Amino acid sequence: MPQLDFSVFPSQLFWLALSFFTMLFIMSKFIIPKTAEMIDLRKAKIDSDLEKADEIKQHVEETLQKYNNALQEASAKANVSLQKTKEELNETISRRQAELYARLKLDIEAGEKKIDASKAKAMVKVEENAAVLAVEVLKKLGFGGVKVKDAANAVKALDEE
Amino acid sequence: MSNPLEQFEIKPIIPINIGGVDISFTNSALFMVLAVAVSTLLLGLCLRKRTMVPGLAQSIPESLYEFVANLLRENVGVEGLKYFPFIFTVFLFVAFGNLLGLFPYSFTFTSHLTAVGSLSIIALLFNIGIGIKKKKLGWLRTFLPRGIPVALAPLIVPIEMISFLSKPFSLTVRLVANMTVGHIMLKIIAGFIVGLGVLGAIPFLFDGAIICFEIFISLLQAFIYTVLSCIYLGDALHEH
Repeated sequence: MPQLDFSVFPSQLFWLALSFFTMLFIMSKFIIPKTAEMIDLRKAKIDSDLEKADEIKQHVEETLQKYNNALQEASAKANVSLQKTKEELNETISRRQAELYARLKLDIEAGEKKIDASKAKAMVKVEENAAVLAVEVLKKLGFGGVKVKDAANAVKALDEE
Repeated sequence: MSNPLEQFEIKPIIPINIGGVDISFTNSALFMVLAVAVSTLLLGLCLRKRTMVPGLAQSIPESLYEFVANLLRENVGVEGLKYFPFIFTVFLFVAFGNLLGLFPYSFTFTSHLTAVGSLSIIALLFNIGIGIKKKKLGWLRTFLPRGIPVALAPLIVPIEMISFLSKPFSLTVRLVANMTVGHIMLKIIAGFIVGLGVLGAIPFLFDGAIICFEIFISLLQAFIYTVLSCIYLGDALHEH
């Protein structure tokens, strides 16, 4: 087998070492730096792009936060204002109601007084008429000479009983 | 039928003899030089026009770069990236040596013990150099790992030495055996093509299938050779 012929070993070793180290030199001086340069550049670009994207994302989040804060603030303000208006309205309503009650009470009292006065007047008239009627009845029964004043007193006494 | 081993014959092209040592430029040496030239030219062409977004050509050296870098990162660690050019060159040299050998009438220098052995010796010397540079005298611990009683040294040291030296040997034999067997098989089946006449179409198709398989084997063996080189490099760098 030619593979087992070790007489070619010096030649093989010499040429292999020569070509291998030549290749090592070419690779490490030209091919590898050229390849690595582009890969590193690309990696740097991707990293910086990612960083930029991160920054933008952060910015967006901040803006969103600001917007939310503003929204919350506005809503709180609106709530306060609403509450205030509601309270004002309630106050006005209750004040008006109180006024109305007071006026109505006065009116009712005045009406009652008027009614009482009319009633008293009417009662006096009824008593007078009752006395006159009593005298008339007595006269018809043959008991003339009864004075109206006495009759009135009698009626009064009757009333008081 | 021609001898299937004939293809492995080493023939001098330019006889050179220095001080009684024969270092003739042989067909094997020619293909070593070709492997260097073809791989360099191919990658150089691919890198001629470089853009931020790589095209098909540019992505070839970049994939190779990432592939070898990952190999080193996984098997040696980040400190292994210092030796990236060495491992990168080993991978390409072996891969192109294997692939160029698949062309008809070419020569496969990776099927020769003396050639691959030389490469393994270079790798071994490289590992020893790194180990001594990194651990100084502590490198000798390779042969007597920590925690082993000194009394056992006469037993352990020879065993560790054999295991240390058998690594490049197994590396070499694995690659050489794979390449040799593949080429012998190709040659034997190719011998049937003409002999069988019209029926020769069958071994012809079969040979085509084997060639595809051999392309895969070429890359796989280059990969295995590289991975194991990485692992031995990791052993040289770390305590075990």
